Amino acid sequence: MTQLACPFCGPRPLEEFLFRKTMPNAGDSAYARTYLRVDHGTHSEEQWQHSGGCRVWLRVVRNPSTGAVASMTVEGSAYELR
Amino acid sequence: MNSADRPRRRPTNSRRAAREGRVPVAETRPPVPSAKGAVEGKRYGTRLRDSTLTFTFDGVRYAARAGDTAAAALLAAGVSLFGRSVKARRPRGVFTAGPEEPCALLTVGQSPLVIPNVPATTLVLHAGMVLRSQNRWPSLRFDFASLLQVGGSLFTAGFYYKTFFWPTWRVFEPIIRHLAGLGEAPGACALSPPAVEHLSCDVLVVGSGPAGVTAALAAARAGAIVVVCEREPVCGGELEFEDSIVDGMPGYQWLARSLLELRTLGARLLCNTTVVAEAGDTVIAHTEPDGLPGDNTVYRIRAGRVLSAVGALEQPIAFIGNDLPGVMLLGAAERYAALYGVRPRGPVVLFGNHHRLYAAALRLRGLGANIVAIVDTRVDGELLKPEPTAAVALAQVAAAEGRDAAVALLRACGIACYQGHTLHAAHGWRGIRQVRVAPVDAPHAAFTIDCQSLLVSGGWVPQRGLPNASITGAAAGQVDLASLMTPAYDAGLLAAAALGFTVSAHTAPEGTGDPLPVVVPYLRSPAAAAEEKRQFIDLQNDVTVADLRVAIAEGFSHIEHVKRYTTLGIGTEQGRTSNTLGAGILAELRGLEPQQAQTSRARPPLAPMTLNSIAGQRTGAAFRVSRHTPLHDWHAAHGGVLDPMGLWLRPRYYRANGRDAGSAAVVEAARVRATGGIADCSTLGKIEIVGPDAAAFLDEIFLTRASALKVGRARYMVQLREDGLVLDDGLLLRVDEQRFLATTSSSHGLEVLSHLEHHLASAPGATRATTLPTDSRGCGLSITDVTDSWAVIAVAGPSSRPTLQGLLPTVALDRLSHMAFIDTEYAGHTVRVLRAGFSGELAFELYCPPVLAAVLWQALLEAGLAPYGIDALDILRVEKGYLTTAEINGQVTPLDLGMQAMVGQGNACIGQTLLARPAFHEEHRPCLVGLQAADGRAAFLAGAQIALSAGGTRSLGYVTSSVFSPTLDRWVGLALVARNHTSLGTTLWARDPLRGGDTAVCVVSPVHVDPEGLRMKGLP
Amino acid sequence: MKFSSRRYSAWSLLRARFAGAGYWRPLWSGRTLQTAYDVVVVGAGGHGLATAYHLARDHGLRRVAVLDKGLVGYGNVGRNTTIVRSNYLLPENHYFYEDALRRYETLSRDLNYNVMYSPRGVVDIALSDDDLPVLARRGNALRMAGIDAELLDVAALERFVPALAPRRQRRFQIAGALLQRRGGTVRHDAVAWGYARAAAALGVDIIEHCEVTGVHTQGGSATAVETTHGAVQAGRIVFATAGHTGLVGRMLGVPLPIETHLLQAMVTEPIKPLLDTVLVYVGPGHAESYVSQSDRGGIVMGGHLDGFPSYTREGRWHRLEDVVQASVELLPQLGGLKLLRHWAGTNDMTMDGSPLMDRVRYDNVFLNAGWCYGGFKSIPASGAAMARFVASGTAPDLIRAFGLSRFATGHLLDEPGYGPYPVRL
Repeated sequence: MTQLACPFCGPRPLEEFLFRKTMPNAGDSAYARTYLRVDHGTHSEEQWQHSGGCRVWLRVVRNPSTGAVASMTVEGSAYELR
Repeated sequence: MNSADRPRRRPTNSRRAAREGRVPVAETRPPVPSAKGAVEGKRYGTRLRDSTLTFTFDGVRYAARAGDTAAAALLAAGVSLFGRSVKARRPRGVFTAGPEEPCALLTVGQSPLVIPNVPATTLVLHAGMVLRSQNRWPSLRFDFASLLQVGGSLFTAGFYYKTFFWPTWRVFEPIIRHLAGLGEAPGACALSPPAVEHLSCDVLVVGSGPAGVTAALAAARAGAIVVVCEREPVCGGELEFEDSIVDGMPGYQWLARSLLELRTLGARLLCNTTVVAEAGDTVIAHTEPDGLPGDNTVYRIRAGRVLSAVGALEQPIAFIGNDLPGVMLLGAAERYAALYGVRPRGPVVLFGNHHRLYAAALRLRGLGANIVAIVDTRVDGELLKPEPTAAVALAQVAAAEGRDAAVALLRACGIACYQGHTLHAAHGWRGIRQVRVAPVDAPHAAFTIDCQSLLVSGGWVPQRGLPNASITGAAAGQVDLASLMTPAYDAGLLAAAALGFTVSAHTAPEGTGDPLPVVVPYLRSPAAAAEEKRQFIDLQNDVTVADLRVAIAEGFSHIEHVKRYTTLGIGTEQGRTSNTLGAGILAELRGLEPQQAQTSRARPPLAPMTLNSIAGQRTGAAFRVSRHTPLHDWHAAHGGVLDPMGLWLRPRYYRANGRDAGSAAVVEAARVRATGGIADCSTLGKIEIVGPDAAAFLDEIFLTRASALKVGRARYMVQLREDGLVLDDGLLLRVDEQRFLATTSSSHGLEVLSHLEHHLASAPGATRATTLPTDSRGCGLSITDVTDSWAVIAVAGPSSRPTLQGLLPTVALDRLSHMAFIDTEYAGHTVRVLRAGFSGELAFELYCPPVLAAVLWQALLEAGLAPYGIDALDILRVEKGYLTTAEINGQVTPLDLGMQAMVGQGNACIGQTLLARPAFHEEHRPCLVGLQAADGRAAFLAGAQIALSAGGTRSLGYVTSSVFSPTLDRWVGLALVARNHTSLGTTLWARDPLRGGDTAVCVVSPVHVDPEGLRMKGLP
Repeated sequence: MKFSSRRYSAWSLLRARFAGAGYWRPLWSGRTLQTAYDVVVVGAGGHGLATAYHLARDHGLRRVAVLDKGLVGYGNVGRNTTIVRSNYLLPENHYFYEDALRRYETLSRDLNYNVMYSPRGVVDIALSDDDLPVLARRGNALRMAGIDAELLDVAALERFVPALAPRRQRRFQIAGALLQRRGGTVRHDAVAWGYARAAAALGVDIIEHCEVTGVHTQGGSATAVETTHGAVQAGRIVFATAGHTGLVGRMLGVPLPIETHLLQAMVTEPIKPLLDTVLVYVGPGHAESYVSQSDRGGIVMGGHLDGFPSYTREGRWHRLEDVVQASVELLPQLGGLKLLRHWAGTNDMTMDGSPLMDRVRYDNVFLNAGWCYGGFKSIPASGAAMARFVASGTAPDLIRAFGLSRFATGHLLDEPGYGPYPVRL
């Protein structure tokens, strides 16, 4: 994986993006949201920002064992882009 | 060695020879009528140009033809000893003719500007080049360390794990390190950054041998834009010299015509260019002209399809003494003959396991080599397999009259053919003198043959290519011209078709060359156990069959373990001549079938790449971006000493005020308190938050409520991370109901911006009053980084107000209260005047467009204010107990910093929940305090630890900041100290063993100067 | 197959010279998996092997197995940049890593296996005067704890590392350095092999290519592990699978404060000695590199995480460029050398950057994980402490701070203050 397809800017090199965190899926408390992770091995839901571009925050579902991107939505937005 | 073979060592002769334009030592080259000559109809010396040059090798001057590689020129001059091996210090010659060379590595240049480990086989000579052999002392012919190897058999695989630990490894390490390593360590490097070029094409073809050129032709004819990368200085691969006919013409003619056609069709042919890695859909390639770092280019190629036609690597065979100088791969000898006109020193023996030996023998003989014998390991039955026709005379004879006739022809030429024989050993001291040969099935019936060259060929293995490329040609196992051209052409067509190009009506070229070799696997000849330590597998790392035996005996039988334990295949040639052989022999020793051989995981890059090229343009001053404030040039021109703060450069102090930072800063800070001064604060992060939701949004961000802030007012604000620790602090300005400007610390601007944007995206409209959508993302506000849109000049000190009033007569500055701001105009631009400061003085911050900064700055100077730098700023703020990143270091909560009142407001902001965790409320949590030396005089420095007593070993905290205060005439500091030891007046010790000892300090209020804030209010 | 490895010495090499390769014995291989053990250690990396060794040596446990889905020492113990040091800021960390470093000092003799501990010094470089107090704070904390540390000014740094030429003009000018002389390098593979050999000699069964796929439980205890070679009864289970701990958490049904990230390392062609120390360089803009020279002569470099969760073990070219840029900035004379290999390890990154050693979910299941950047340098301490923890059931003081509950209580061990994010923004 060396590119992400930004919904606003198109496919861009990964170094333009900033990974922030894996979504916890381990409970709704502030503690769980901040600290705990459930590792599925092949399925990881993450927050990324196109920090070197349009600065949109993205919700990316990826396979960390292959790097393949399964889906990508604009964070906080209702509609799915891909 | 007879005298005729000895290289001429008289420089005068060489120089005269060079003047006369002839190669001084030509006994291994045929007569040279012109650069591209012909003997008996054979082309040779095709890489050579007419001019000559001289170079030195180990201090001796040699002549060469332009175009020669170092290996070719030295071989031509009769040099056979090129270096010594790392571990056993055995003499080594040239083994290959390409980048896969394990032995003949040279150091180029003179100390300190040396380039070590350059393969002599790829280094194209330039006039005056200085070359040295490696791993020898005092000289190449006599190496002292080689004497140590008398007991060399002690040094089997992993010997250093078994000894050298008494008394400690550190005793032995320096010796081992000096013996290990290869070339000289460079003391400097004068390389300029490489050119970086981005290419985009439809089809990238890696390799321009017959398969590569054919595939490139097919794709280009279909209309695809083609880029070809060829690691050699010229395109063609084997077509450059192989006796071949393609489409009815000699192979080299077809090659020239095809390359012309490719160029006409717009293809880009990149020679000297090695494909190194795949970075996603970008291929990284690297041009290093003449095999030496210099005018390098890095290509980043984006291709629709990648075809790998990287060919195959000839494999060695392990036998006793197979590392002696004079032992060379057969294909390498052919290349030296064809490309550089260097024939192997005679008498010559060929040893292998396939019938290309015979064609090669005739070709080399045609160039005048004295071939005396061919040793073919195959037994009779294996020899009788059908052999396709070829252009070579021998092959024709073989096809028409059978193998015996071919052998008869060779015998008629005086070449003995030993079929069903194997070569047990090569003997010699610094070079091969004799080989021992025996029938495969009768090892006792051995006999010897005298020779000076032994050319070995154990078959071919495909070269490693890019993982995601389609493979064609020899890399796909088709090692003969006749059978590779059609599939290669199809591969080119397929690549083009897959990209939507219409495939044209052209047909694949037809070629005939050397017949398809029938290879019967043969990895090593038999040897007594005691002799296996001279059967070399990895020539660079001296890994032998005996080493593999030791590894297996100790349980290191997996190839990955063997690689790590014996160092098999981890040399500079990335194991190209040793990995396959080693894996095969390992399988044999373990009693496995050959097909069960494991191969070790190949690590990227595909080929070694020069660090300077990897670094690209981002070296030297361009290493990382430099951020300059709008006043940068003024600071630089007026003695400002610029220091990095993250990527920013800021003036620490001005030289006019003192000899060093300490004395200048004291002068500058004292002047601010006495009269006034100005400072460039443009590096402050500035973020604008605008929209109907802005106030509600900021309420979630900041520890205290932003919505309570009145328009035209500013407030000190703190924001927490989600874990409850302090992220950053700064001022928040409310410009109007829906518009805020937040300042951040200089180093945190981007982090805070990202934090705000993250919260906006993660929790849109969570608790906000209005949710008017203003953009496509459904947010009622926008967040913009305006750091570079505003220059900030701090104007501080008692004279700040009158001076500023003179510049801005229309603003009633005396009615501007603390933390209030007003927008006005100066020289036609907006200036925001905020009454606030970081010094505790009556002070203003002027926010202005960058274009105005220099004008305003100049006006302030002319009005009598002097500039102060960051160090003075630091003195002023420590005196007042203000915070910077020295305190807000990511490890403190707002409670640690004394912000209980702010936390107590109970605003439900980010981080409040986790701030409630019990650990943050324990009595030994840190607390921000002021410190002063107990005796009023001693210095204590930031970074000192706090303890209860001098020499105490338990840390209670640490000094975050300390300065010499001109106001109080003593050292003052800030510290984070365990809360239960912070009552005012407590004496503690600032322990600083690193910098000279302990200082008794007294806990005081963090606000050292003017605790009532009278100066800030402008009162006397 | 004859077992019990030979005792190693110069004398043994001499005997082998005459006896041939058959003189040597397997270091650990050739054991068969039994159906029940007192302790099953999952993961034959440095931590797993060291734990097993100490269980057998210090606590007399004879029925101990180490299971690995691959080979001995094929994970991060063989993929790191071989640096050992104990110059951590926080007491919980520096006492622990100091214990490891002290054990490293004598490890070759303890294991009768040369792990090539080379105390050549670890030099943390300050890139501005603002960095010096930060380094001083750490150095002073170390000195108070009795751990060696020195603050070098530019002149002293120049003497200690002439190759660095610290006064040379650079984008970020060198202002000084923190030196730990006892820090240095250790031959990484040798640590795995040495522990494996020593553990095997004490009767520990090391079984390669045996993957643990599940845990059998009864009540609040685990009873056995399910493996690709069948179920194995286990009195106690230790997971020492850093790099894949996230997956262990999932297997046990426990969310963990861990993300798995890639960390790259790389090596150049070998050259004669150039650098006899370890340089650590951390500048702005991911300008990060640690550089040392191996005893074989290659320049070994590492840097920043790739920056997002991954199990691919394929490092990004872009990050490699970052590391090489920083290394060439630091030592421009490296510019003409060639990079031979680069590789990546999968790192357990915890939410405060410090390790985890605790019971997890069941009273007899122990987790040794979350090693972030510190896995290799902690092996001897971790092995000894985990063994004591497992054998006694009580966490020794040395590792008590590394419990899982610290995130809930707020007793964080955040050395650099980056917050609950494995990757610094």
